[in-house]
Amino acid sequence: MEQMQQLLKKTKGDKVIWGVVLLLSFISLLAVFSSTGSLAYRMEKNSNYYLIKQVMVLGLGLMIIYWVHNINYTKFAKLAVILYLLSLPLLLYTLCFGTSLNEGSRWIKLPVINLTFQTSDLAKLALFMFLARTLSIKQADIKDLKKGFIPVLLPVLFTCALIAPANLSTALMLGFTCSILFFIGRVQMKHLMLLALAGIMGLCVLFTVSKLTGWGRASTWEQRITDFFGTKDKDGKKDDVYQVQQAKIAIAGGGITGRGPGKSLQKNFLPHPYSDFIFSIIIEEYGLMGGGLVVMLYLLFLWRAVLIFKRCPFAFGAFLAVGLSITLVFQAMLNMAVNVHLVPVTGLTLPMISMGGSSIWFTSIAIGIVLSVSKYVDEMEGSKKKKAKPAQADGATDAGVEEVTDETTEEEERVEEEIVEKKPRKRASKKQVLDDGPIPAI
Amino acid sequence: MNIKKDIRFRVYIAFTCICLFGCAIIFKAAMIQVKEGPKLRAMAREMHTRFDTLIAERGNIYTEEGALLSSSIPEFDVHVDFSVIDSATFRKNIDTLALCMSRLTMDKTQDQYKEEFVRAYEEGSKYYPLARRKFKYFEYEALRKFPIFNRGKALGGFIADAKEKRENPYGMRAFRTIGVFRDKNMSGLEATYNRVLIGENGRRVVQKSTGNVWVPIEGSEVEPQNGKDIVTTLDINVQEVAEYALRSILEKYECLYGTCIVMETKTGKIRTLVNLGRQPNGTYWEDFNYAMIPTEPGSTFKLATLLSLLNDKLINVDQNVDAEGGTVHFGNRTMHDSHLGLGVMPIWKAYAESSNTAMAKLANSNYANNPKKFIDHLHQFRLDTFTGIDLLGERRTVITRPGTASWSNSTLPWMGTGYGIQISPLHTCMLYNAVANGGKMMKPYLVSSIREYGKEVRRIEPVVLTTVGDAGVIAQAQKCTRAVVTEGTAKGIESPYYTMCGKTGTAQVADKGISYGDGVYQGSFVGYLPAENPQYTICVVIRTKPHSRAYYGGAIAAPVFRMVADKIFSENIGAWGGPLDSLARFSTGVVPAKSATARNYNVLFNAIRKKLPMPDEDVNKIMQVSVDSTNRIVVAPKSMYRNLVPDVKGMSLRDAVYMLETFGMHVNVKGKGKVAEQSITPGTTVTKGQVITIQLS
Repeated sequence: MEQMQQLLKKTKGDKVIWGVVLLLSFISLLAVFSSTGSLAYRMEKNSNYYLIKQVMVLGLGLMIIYWVHNINYTKFAKLAVILYLLSLPLLLYTLCFGTSLNEGSRWIKLPVINLTFQTSDLAKLALFMFLARTLSIKQADIKDLKKGFIPVLLPVLFTCALIAPANLSTALMLGFTCSILFFIGRVQMKHLMLLALAGIMGLCVLFTVSKLTGWGRASTWEQRITDFFGTKDKDGKKDDVYQVQQAKIAIAGGGITGRGPGKSLQKNFLPHPYSDFIFSIIIEEYGLMGGGLVVMLYLLFLWRAVLIFKRCPFAFGAFLAVGLSITLVFQAMLNMAVNVHLVPVTGLTLPMISMGGSSIWFTSIAIGIVLSVSKYVDEMEGSKKKKAKPAQADGATDAGVEEVTDETTEEEERVEEEIVEKKPRKRASKKQVLDDGPIPAI
Repeated sequence: MNIKKDIRFRVYIAFTCICLFGCAIIFKAAMIQVKEGPKLRAMAREMHTRFDTLIAERGNIYTEEGALLSSSIPEFDVHVDFSVIDSATFRKNIDTLALCMSRLTMDKTQDQYKEEFVRAYEEGSKYYPLARRKFKYFEYEALRKFPIFNRGKALGGFIADAKEKRENPYGMRAFRTIGVFRDKNMSGLEATYNRVLIGENGRRVVQKSTGNVWVPIEGSEVEPQNGKDIVTTLDINVQEVAEYALRSILEKYECLYGTCIVMETKTGKIRTLVNLGRQPNGTYWEDFNYAMIPTEPGSTFKLATLLSLLNDKLINVDQNVDAEGGTVHFGNRTMHDSHLGLGVMPIWKAYAESSNTAMAKLANSNYANNPKKFIDHLHQFRLDTFTGIDLLGERRTVITRPGTASWSNSTLPWMGTGYGIQISPLHTCMLYNAVANGGKMMKPYLVSSIREYGKEVRRIEPVVLTTVGDAGVIAQAQKCTRAVVTEGTAKGIESPYYTMCGKTGTAQVADKGISYGDGVYQGSFVGYLPAENPQYTICVVIRTKPHSRAYYGGAIAAPVFRMVADKIFSENIGAWGGPLDSLARFSTGVVPAKSATARNYNVLFNAIRKKLPMPDEDVNKIMQVSVDSTNRIVVAPKSMYRNLVPDVKGMSLRDAVYMLETFGMHVNVKGKGKVAEQSITPGTTVTKGQVITIQLS
């Protein structure tokens, strides 16, 4: 009991986000348990096997969030650079030697701990962090194409180029998400339009080359697009058409309130009811209400991140919080859109809900970072208040806040110095904190 | 614009867009439900549920005594999917498995099995047949428990498909009559009564559930109506004797085929139907229903001529007829008797001696001017139509009719002796049975009742088809058939113990691929017994090989008749009155069974027409017959002492078992006949559940 209280005391950051994460995990357990029945039978496993596995994965995920959120977010600036530089060779390695699942080479196995993970998950996280850092640094020159936009754009292009051959949809999704980040990061609309045009042209070239040479997965892409628009045979047996059809049947079966927990019938027909198409199972079992709740939870998460962004005085923290949450929520929205047949099949999972291992942990890291920013903002505001009205803060009921703020005062002061705007004298000192240059305050 | 405000503005825009995206998702989901909902839900129902057929069990075929003639038993086709067996498990258990297999099947050694399995395993065979044959249920049960296989289908690769197999426990016995049932291939009673036997499949709705399992939806079931059982009139014991008797003759003279029909006189029940055809390898098999194939009957048909003449009051069997030495000309053809030299004699004598010329002359002189009258009688005797037996495959008979191209002035005399017409042995049997039955022609039938779950749901009653003559006509016809046995062509066959009547027949055969010149004969004997009060009619028809050394009906068919008649007689001791030789010794004081139930004694005393008072009403009580001091036979309850082992020596098996079991003992039986020895001395105290062995003589 005491340990629990201790743990709760040490758990900082936005309480609403924590709540959303716990709720999503709970929904994940319900949906995964229901939808893995067939899989468990096929694999000759106990029917609880995948539930227990998911409990463990999510438990570890929560521990990762807790662990990450206790790290001062400023440390991620340096880490972002390291991770990004690490991700490029890893992607290259995966492209050449990765485990092939569903034609695309996407997975690698870590040699020591014998864990497979999707390198693109790591690369995505690294890229978003790196982008948050770069955008915050380049704010002064961002409107300039050569000095601002190109340096920001290049890392994105590298990563996307390395992911694209094996997993075009991830690369596209990544490019699009990064464009949202560019938009937020004040990149000129003119430049964004140019980028979009270049992107479409690039796709056309890639598609043509792939189709002509047979290299890559042009046929899969073509099929997915034609399936989506329903121009080809509609016999409902072709993989994607079948999946979409089954997902739609699941949604139609759900109604407003759903069939009830565990009563999905479509879980026995959908090929991957526990990963890509878990949202349709949620609608089937819990109805539009359940589906709406899930959408609301993601939006709530995003809104809280926007609030953190508003409160965060530092560009890096602000971009980090809004960038990571917007990409996470955007992926969730895309996945749900696939489920309701709003966009073509992409092979994305529903973050924190779909069954999985490493992808949930990478999502956890992202959430942890957002919470870390949140925690920092809370503490900073707390310490400001304390400075303004020390008596009031001391007498505050929340003793935990006080304790932690005391611990971090020194660090804060250092950062607080950095806040002072546009003073070349201070810029030099910032270098000590962040290797790669100053973070202009907003 | 302020940088911070600009960024905040852009964030709000992005957030709003994502919110709209979220709304669009929910809206699209709602649209799917509303717009495509009905169609999708209908698809879902179709996919999630399907109809499952519940197979009805096919009914059995029993005899009236309760012997099972045909039944469905499960058989198993077993295959092994070696690809799913884990290599460690395979290596560890292969020796034991091979040993178990070799012990179960006894057809290969452990090493052979091991070698086979290892090879199949290395090839990764996914559907390796465990044996060329199917496995019986008990073998399947054993197989399932063998190492590796006991891990089931998913881990042990054990794939067993159950199939129903129709099995005839009596093998070849009445095989053609019972018939076969294999998929679409049916014959015999199986085909005739298919609609009764097959039942009606039920169905239910099943829903797909986890792991490709289809779970029935409660309340959706329409239970299958299992097939009903049919009870045939066949007597498997008589059938066995008839088959044996017929086969021994067929083998002896290498005949082409033979058939034997036993019909119960009063009812028309077919008690026995044997059809044996010679196979290329010289053995005999129930291959065709020869009893139902119309052929030229020969002399046995003379009964029809006789009955026709008697019905028209044209003759009296005591009138004389002149056989003219056995050679008479009709038109440009000459008819011969097979035994020449007969002169003037009474008609009954001519019938007994089977004189062709006499019968031909009678037919010709009486009907030449109006042959239709004769043909009309054949119609009356139902020889121009189906017998109506409940067995598929009857063929139309052939009767040459006046006015057609094939009718000539020699047709009638030849027809009078059984040529120029084709009727089946069953028709002949039916006609003789009518004479035996006082003129009433009974419809032959093979199924006497239909049962459902052991309860009779339909009884098939005997049907009188027609009357072939009044009492006077029948009496004269019976006189003639009796004379055949007493002083005619079948003089040698009568038993000293019971009487019989009949008619021999020997016809030259002209049939598909056979002409009269080929020397193929059809020897037949049809008759009934006992003469005084006919109970059974037996018809034996045998077709010889070309130029066989024996071909007369009296030589080849009559012995079969006699063997079957003897069997029927011995089975029916006490059932009808007659010179019961085996009981005749009773007068000397030797009683065949010292103790028996009152019921059995009643039968016995009825049979020997001795009215002895029964001291007790209870027919199940054990009685003992003894001779008292005044030398009179008395029946008294057998004195039995509670708790003391009774003396069962001299008793019949059934009575002995009944008695011992009333004392609470278990009986172990050895041998056949009457009880000769018992393992526990009479008078010993009985222990409940004690086993007593009785040795029969």
